[in-house]
Amino acid sequence: MIDVLKKLSDAAVQNFGAEYAELRAQRLNKTMLTVKENRVEAAKQGIEEGIALRVLVDGTWGFASVGSIDTAALTRAVSDACRMAKATSSRLKAPIKLAETKTIEDCVQIKPKENPSEINLEDKIGAALSLSKVILGVDKRVKSCTVDYLDLTGTNYLVTSEGTRITQDKLYVWSRVTSSAVSKGVFTFSREEIGSTAGYELFDAETLERIGEKVAKRAVEQLRAKPPKGGVFPVVLGSNVVGVFVHEAFGHLAEADLALSGGVLANNLGKKIASDKVTFYDDGTAKDAFGSFKYDDEGVPTQKTLLIKDGIVAGLMHNRETAAKFNVEPTGNARAEDFRVEPIIRMRNTYMAPRDHSFEELLEGIREGYYFKSFRGGQANIDGTFQVGIQEAYEIVKGEVGEPVRNASISGNTLETLFKVDAAGKDFQLWPGRCGKGQTAFVCDGGPHIRVRGVTVGGNA
Amino acid sequence: MAMLEKDVMLTLAEKTVETALIKGAAEAEAYVYEGQATSVGIERGQITKSNRITDRGLGIRVAVNRAVGFAYTNILDSQSAVEKAVINALSAARASKPDADWNGLPEKRGYATAEKTFDARIAELHPEELVNLAAVMLDAATNADKRVLPVEGGAAAGYVTNAIVNSNGISGFDKGTMSECSLAAVAKEGNRVTPICFEFNAERSFNLDAEWVGKETARLAASALKTEPIETKNTKLILTQFALQELLYYTLINAVKADNVQRGQSAFKGKIGAQVASENITIIDDGLFAGGLRTATFDGEGTPRQKNLLIEKGILRSFLYDNYAAKKEGKASTGNAARAGYLSTPSIETTNFHLSPSPTATEELLSEVDDGLLVYYLQGAHSSNPVSGEFSVVATPAWKIRKGEIAHCSRGVMLAGNIFEAIKNVTAVAGNERKMGQLIAPWILVENVKVIGK
Repeated sequence: MIDVLKKLSDAAVQNFGAEYAELRAQRLNKTMLTVKENRVEAAKQGIEEGIALRVLVDGTWGFASVGSIDTAALTRAVSDACRMAKATSSRLKAPIKLAETKTIEDCVQIKPKENPSEINLEDKIGAALSLSKVILGVDKRVKSCTVDYLDLTGTNYLVTSEGTRITQDKLYVWSRVTSSAVSKGVFTFSREEIGSTAGYELFDAETLERIGEKVAKRAVEQLRAKPPKGGVFPVVLGSNVVGVFVHEAFGHLAEADLALSGGVLANNLGKKIASDKVTFYDDGTAKDAFGSFKYDDEGVPTQKTLLIKDGIVAGLMHNRETAAKFNVEPTGNARAEDFRVEPIIRMRNTYMAPRDHSFEELLEGIREGYYFKSFRGGQANIDGTFQVGIQEAYEIVKGEVGEPVRNASISGNTLETLFKVDAAGKDFQLWPGRCGKGQTAFVCDGGPHIRVRGVTVGGNA
Repeated sequence: MAMLEKDVMLTLAEKTVETALIKGAAEAEAYVYEGQATSVGIERGQITKSNRITDRGLGIRVAVNRAVGFAYTNILDSQSAVEKAVINALSAARASKPDADWNGLPEKRGYATAEKTFDARIAELHPEELVNLAAVMLDAATNADKRVLPVEGGAAAGYVTNAIVNSNGISGFDKGTMSECSLAAVAKEGNRVTPICFEFNAERSFNLDAEWVGKETARLAASALKTEPIETKNTKLILTQFALQELLYYTLINAVKADNVQRGQSAFKGKIGAQVASENITIIDDGLFAGGLRTATFDGEGTPRQKNLLIEKGILRSFLYDNYAAKKEGKASTGNAARAGYLSTPSIETTNFHLSPSPTATEELLSEVDDGLLVYYLQGAHSSNPVSGEFSVVATPAWKIRKGEIAHCSRGVMLAGNIFEAIKNVTAVAGNERKMGQLIAPWILVENVKVIGK
């Protein structure tokens, strides 16, 4: 495969005058399952392969992908990409340049303890059904559950005209479990995700019983919950909510492409934008984590990238193009969902570093506030406005966790909120998830529990 | 890759179904898909890239002893790869459990014609035409206001063809085109940066108003520079199509899907014939809407697309079905099975979710608001409670309406409520309908929504 890619790369450079050519090929196998209540919706098995090529011609990107490794189709794709780039370059003011990076020749093989592609489909279906049984058995008010399962195995190939040749195995195992409970006209909803780049042994650590009970009990607990009061309150955020805050509210702003597009961080490098308690990383090296890999889709080695240190902006997440603009080293954040699409700047495992407080110490001194333990969804805008919906929340009354609260959400301005972080816990956890930015990327986010002096809480009461 | 011919696609689908039956499937269905999209992209004020994505593949669904299995492959030029997919589908079915509610694949029905879904100009489009379109849009935006920075966007055009064959005699072929231009921009003045403002135009034919998209994006971004806080209270909202699409997708649209109703996951369960919305609300899911972005001859299972009256003057009339959910109730599918290309099994989805407009002009709608908000973009609608309909979202930005006129912009405004209550409080709808994804709707006026200011 590497030889096929090398020939295409040569053709782009020699026949079409490309300054740079990057060829990626993929062969993927996927297994997908959905179980609703005790019914197996179609079990699915897929095979796909294809090639993506990206070229720089006259300082402009051209990209083409084809779901085929047929020679005629590929030759045509090279010509398409180069000609389209040339046509586009007519209006270019500032040609694109790439930061230098070492060329790499490597073959990354992974040897999972339990390779999901070697586990019988019957066993995977059996596991999903037994999980479903656990959930529905927790309480008679639990009315529904959906278990989604995905495993993906395969190989990525990368060749660049600069001489990089990488073969890299891919492995992901992921599951999402949702359940709802109903009582007296109140509907509640709960979700949990697990995911790993290790292997099927993921389910040895996160046993099905534990996940199922957690999801179902949360849905039931919310039945007696009340809506929150709207307004500004001091809050304690659980590790899971801190994770989504780090990812959505801050992480996207620290993606160099968004920072360049008028985001609030571009002019704040080296400046203090958060309280002393705040240190953030985007780390592609965390062992087995859902957002880890060895090389990104431009062939740049992944790394542990410091984003904020003790409140001061230390760096951004880069691909080779933005690294050249900022005159820094690329950080290995260029990722493509698959061969169909181009690599763009994506997060990996993004988290806040822990400090020294116990959970009780974080609660101390809050007379009236909320403990937001687990999120339902989150989103942010380039101007720094964020919103995080909460699926598990409690009142804090006089320094103690009180009654459950449902359908809360928090909002604010990211930088203002980061200054209000006045304590961080000594606990730490990473949470797997999927991030959407036109393409889907597998990521983790996380951190310790933290205390924030004031955020706007949206509620119905 | 050149476009696959109709005969080639149908023959491949037929042969795949035959192979599956020979290898032991009780029933089989093959779906062949091809799509190509060409685009040019804008980043930070200039056109920097072009893309061409060509994707094709085959999805096969089989039933063995009332257990269903599915497999796909995108390797179509090799007979052994297609055979391997058939074997994978069969092994998936055999590994699965029988489903007592599985009552077979759909039966053959006649197709109506989908109108205005294909434009030959798109199939033959030269990428330079897209570059020109993007340039017109970009110039329109930057010439309209110097404070406006186009952040991203572009112009794109593409086609999709698909063929479906099943062992009950269904055999269908359909093709369609799509084109789009879009622009996202911020406005900057001193240290102030606005939230991203966005506009687009999407059509099935190659008739795009790129200049309008550029100007309108710039107007929205510039008007978001001047902000003032607003107070916390219950107020009137005018929801534009952007806000409606976000709010409805995760709540109301969920509630009219028959599988959710059957599973007790819909607030509309048992409410057919009941008043569930204000009498200003009539919604038809119209799979045949001429030129609709989701219009097609047949759905993902080969069932003809049709018009389905969902809510008539506020009264709930029916739900959306695919073949499985319909047969479970002894009904006929409403043609609402959707697929994500060849990669997925069919699932229930809206087609063109058409909220009927009124003759009311938008100015008239605005003039009915003494004190309220005009809402475009929402953050966090996906974290709504899909079953109860409770939402708590941020409007970034929203425009304050005072005495029927836009007074100023406001940021980080939280809106909280319940969509099933909100649709009962729709006191007026306008006449300015437009297509946006699955939604075709005008602006609507909702009363008494909780707004949390700063």
